[in-house]
Amino acid sequence: MNKSWIETNTFHHSKFKDLDRLVAAKQRKNLSISLCLPTLNEERTIAKEIVIMKSELMIRHPLLDEIVVIDSGSTDQTREIARAYEVMVYQADDILPALSRFMGKGENLWKALYVTRGDIIVYIDADIKNIHHRFAYGLIGPLLLSDTIRFTKAFYDRPIAIGDNKLRPTGGGRVTELVTRPLFSLFMPDLTQFVQPLSGEYAGFRSIFEKIPFHIGYGVETGMLIDIFEKWGLDVMAQVDLDRRVHKNQDTKALGRMAFVIIKTFLKRLQDLDRMNLKQDIFNEMIQFHLVRDQLESEIHTLEQHERPPIIEIPEYREKFGMEDKM
Amino acid sequence: MEEILNQLPAFVEQISDIREIIISNIVLIGQIPAPTFREQRRAERLVERLADFQVDDCAVDDFGNPVGIIRGRASSKSAIFIVAHLDTFCETTSDTLYTVTDKAISGMGVSDNSAAVGVMASLPEVFRRLGMVFESDIVLVAPVHSLGPGNLKGIRQLLKTWPTPVRGAICLESVELGRLNYYSDGMIRGEISCSIASEKKMGRHHQPNAILIIHEVIHAILKLRLPQKPRTQIVIGKIAGGFNHGQEAFDASIGFEIRSDSDRMVRELYGDIKDIVNGINKSFAVDLKLSIISHLNATQLAYNHPLVKCAARILYRLGVEAVSEPSETALSIFLQKQIPAITLGLTRGNHFHQDGAMVEIEPLFKGIAQIPALVAAMDSGMCSHE
Repeated sequence: MNKSWIETNTFHHSKFKDLDRLVAAKQRKNLSISLCLPTLNEERTIAKEIVIMKSELMIRHPLLDEIVVIDSGSTDQTREIARAYEVMVYQADDILPALSRFMGKGENLWKALYVTRGDIIVYIDADIKNIHHRFAYGLIGPLLLSDTIRFTKAFYDRPIAIGDNKLRPTGGGRVTELVTRPLFSLFMPDLTQFVQPLSGEYAGFRSIFEKIPFHIGYGVETGMLIDIFEKWGLDVMAQVDLDRRVHKNQDTKALGRMAFVIIKTFLKRLQDLDRMNLKQDIFNEMIQFHLVRDQLESEIHTLEQHERPPIIEIPEYREKFGMEDKM
Repeated sequence: MEEILNQLPAFVEQISDIREIIISNIVLIGQIPAPTFREQRRAERLVERLADFQVDDCAVDDFGNPVGIIRGRASSKSAIFIVAHLDTFCETTSDTLYTVTDKAISGMGVSDNSAAVGVMASLPEVFRRLGMVFESDIVLVAPVHSLGPGNLKGIRQLLKTWPTPVRGAICLESVELGRLNYYSDGMIRGEISCSIASEKKMGRHHQPNAILIIHEVIHAILKLRLPQKPRTQIVIGKIAGGFNHGQEAFDASIGFEIRSDSDRMVRELYGDIKDIVNGINKSFAVDLKLSIISHLNATQLAYNHPLVKCAARILYRLGVEAVSEPSETALSIFLQKQIPAITLGLTRGNHFHQDGAMVEIEPLFKGIAQIPALVAAMDSGMCSHE
């Protein structure tokens, strides 16, 4: 395992709070930055996220060039509220409509690549109740100030102090500690250094995101980490402590379904990479039980594995970004 | 003045252009709890924000008041104060999470007085966008220790030690738009608490009940005769006591406020209440205590003072009806010191001191537009008898 990575490529957001410095670096490198907010019924939090990001990182400091909301078909006021603050709002299904349709966060993130224009894309979940602009500038900072880092991932909660200037991160959530970290430990120990590999906030250069496949659902973060690691190695990646994050909590059964998808994603990648040869097909159904009048009843969730190819392979994308002849 | 009034529609439009900055300030400052006497974190955040907005001198003063000064061009002109009290009624000390929609901002304390504090933090940007520079220093201050037992201590201390003359003050309250306060009643806010002595709690079949004792007190206060002139009122605004349905209550208390436009009447009524408390104490042999939480003297700016007239004209031109009532805010401290001052409301809202407190976003822009217009008028000497 590359043990030095966690020392050199782990940052605290406060290191990047000089926004003028970030703006100067962005201008010097002639880069543009897009913020993407994937949504599904987020009417209680979407406005606050847009307002704070727009105020602090567009109006006061020109760090972001655009904010784009990609919605999965909200049935509440999410899209109307977002439009009231004059950002671009798309329904995922309306982007690249000729392609087959899927629903999931990964689909939104992938399609965002088509409708945004930034050289750097920042993805932030839209359900953060204690949103602060550090969630964006903390992730952007290493990308602008380093010449090697091309992808950053968030982790949260105040780490525990263990002496002078030494901090120990508190670790990930339940799915991370019970599923993802054991799998990484078994097969890809370098990736265990990500404190919260499943965190929903990350940023990177378009040139990275456009060349990797995107899993449609819960597997998007796991697949993304593995693919970037396999293609470019650990040194292009970094993680940033964004302090506390307050968001909706999921119940154990929902986490079970999430774990199911992550394990499937992981197994598929191991096979794709020729690291494992499964002797049987794996199933698409997650079987859970609940008690109804003293009887256990099964609850079957079909969780299919869908994966979008690298968007650079999509002709419409190549045309839009002027790359017709490069494949 | 007419020139300033003609600019009001443009002010409203340009202020609404920076609505994201204003809402962000309300959220980023308001989410930090600031119960009276525990405002330090919010004070630090406010000063940090003022410094971010390039306010010339920013600091938390010796009393804990966050203060920012936008330096004027003429050092000889006395300062104009813009004030929004920092503390809230909410006792929670963990961060409150506000909700924003396209129409409203909601969360504990937003309507008293976090929206006004957020607006104050945005004023340097508002002035900049409107291209306004002033002769006078503009002092932005969010006094601590204002509410309840705080008894406006923050602003009292600040003015006691302020080194230079003050031309006038605008006090900001989040709600309600149209509010134009220019006088304050004499006021004593007090509490009466009843505690049954511990030796009587055990083994007595007919021990006194603190709630019933307090009931006697209320009954006696309600029998007091209040004059119509001077205008006088006693409000019993808080009551607490007991802990279980089937137990005699050991403790009970009420909070009350005596208000009058005559300080003498306030003192007399307080004396009457003191007599009631002493009498009941003797009759029931309980531990009944009367204490003063805060008090203010009656003060007034004449209704035809140029500052009041300017503010009323601005509201009229904005299409908002002016409503005048007495106000027990920092206003009264300025008026006591013969400094012309008024209190303005910034927007509409509801559930002021409750969990569902909210303020509307759209009326806020008119509410804010009052401030640069009035500051410009004060700065050019239109609002004083100088």
